[in-house]
Parts: sequence; structure tokens; C-alpha cells
Amino acid sequence: MVDTFLFALMLGSLGCFWKGRRTLGQCLFLVALVGVALLLKHHMTDPLQISL
Amino acid sequence: MNDFLQRLGFWTCHFNILAVGAVLTSAFVVQFGAGELPCPLCIVQRMGMLLAILGTAAILLAARKGNVTPSEYATGYGMSILGAIVGGAGSLRQIALHVCDSGPGAGYGSPIMGYHLYTWALVVFTVVVAVSGFNLFSCRWLDPHRIQFGLFSKLTVWFVALLLAANMVAVFVEAGFHAFLPDNPTSYRLLDDLGLGASSGSDEANSILSAP
Repeated sequence: MVDTFLFALMLGSLGCFWKGRRTLGQCLFLVALVGVALLLKHHMTDPLQISL
Repeated sequence: MNDFLQRLGFWTCHFNILAVGAVLTSAFVVQFGAGELPCPLCIVQRMGMLLAILGTAAILLAARKGNVTPSEYATGYGMSILGAIVGGAGSLRQIALHVCDSGPGAGYGSPIMGYHLYTWALVVFTVVVAVSGFNLFSCRWLDPHRIQFGLFSKLTVWFVALLLAANMVAVFVEAGFHAFLPDNPTSYRLLDDLGLGASSGSDEANSILSAP
């Protein structure tokens, strides 16, 4: 659901740019960007299991 | 000469979108053609690519009035760089996960032309950052003026919208009503939850992070 929501935010951002609402589009873009970064952080909580 | 460069700047935006869009389309071919389900990090990389082309799509949409200001041009490519950095971090994380794998089954998914998809993704993100940096550097000459937002430009923006919508639907079917995707997905969870798909074991049991 989190991934779906982030894609929906990006689609909303594109829609805002289409409608000429640049500031709102940029805000939605930033929220999506931070969301993707946090999602990546969520998937990085486990330590790397690398053994040489 | 200036007129030519400004048109070049406008068509470069189209090229950026279509090139990254082609990579995202090929990811769908691998997903549905070869039956390889994308893992959470693959989805993060797709998001990074879509964020990157969202920036150039914003420039195209700003060009509907015939001119793009340097501020709008710089904002679009700034967005592209930010998206590429986040996506590139996902690629690096996935490369690091498989850096010590060896043998025929090494890495996640099948390699294409010798490299896995996440390695190709890192190449794409690096190129996006380089192209965006060059466009920002040349902003004075390349920001589009006296250009026409025609049918091709409209189709290019619709292509971005289509890619976003397709990814949204695909990831919803893969994750279902669960908050996050499993580390190593083996089936479409929405279909499993609705009793329409054939589940092939516990996703958690096949966690890529717990694999030796």
C-alpha cells in the first residue's frame, strides 16, 4: 500500500504540473521523494550480510 | 544559432523521458514476459526513474505557453537529479547485497547483456545526473523559447502518466493490502488474498536478506 500511495503522489504531482499549479506539484514531488527515501531506509534496516 | 540551441533544449527533454521510459517499459517486459517479480528495491529504483522523468515532464508542461524561464528549466532538472540520487541509492544497496554472490544463480533475477537490472539502473541514474548537470550548466543557452507544445509533446507527457499509472496498478496487485512488499516476492499477493493466484510458499521464508 505504501508503494501504491507513493506512485499515486507522483501521478498527483504530474496532474498539478499539467493544471499549471506548479507549487503544489513541487510540494507533492518533494513529499514523494522523501517517501521513497524513507521506503529505501525501511528496506535497509537489516544489516548487510556480506562475508568475504 | 540561439534558436537552434533552444529547440535542442526542448527536444532533449523529450529524449530524456523516452529513454528512461524505454528502460521502465523493458522492466515490465521482464516482469510479465519472463515472469520475474520485482523486489522492493527494484520498485524503489522504478520510483527513482519516474521521479527523474517527472522533472523533465514538468519542463515540457511549462513549455505550453511557448517559453520556459531559466527558473522553470533549472527546477525541472533539479527534480531529475534528486530522483536519480534516491534511485541510485537503491541500486547501490542492491548491488551491495549481491556483491559477493558467485556461480550461475548469482544476483537477483536474470542478467541482461552480462549485467543485472539493478546494475543497469545505476548506469541509467548516473547518465540522468550527468545529462541534468550538463543541461543546468548550459541553461543560459538551452532553456526553450519560441517552441510549440504540439501533439508529440502531449503524447510524451501522456506516456509518463501511463507509466506512473501502470506501475501503481502493478505494485498494488503485487503487494495487495499489505503495507510493504516482501523481501523476495514469489507471487502476486492481491491475487493470493482474493484466492485467484497460486501461492508458492512463504515470502518471508525466502527472504533475500536471510539468504546465505
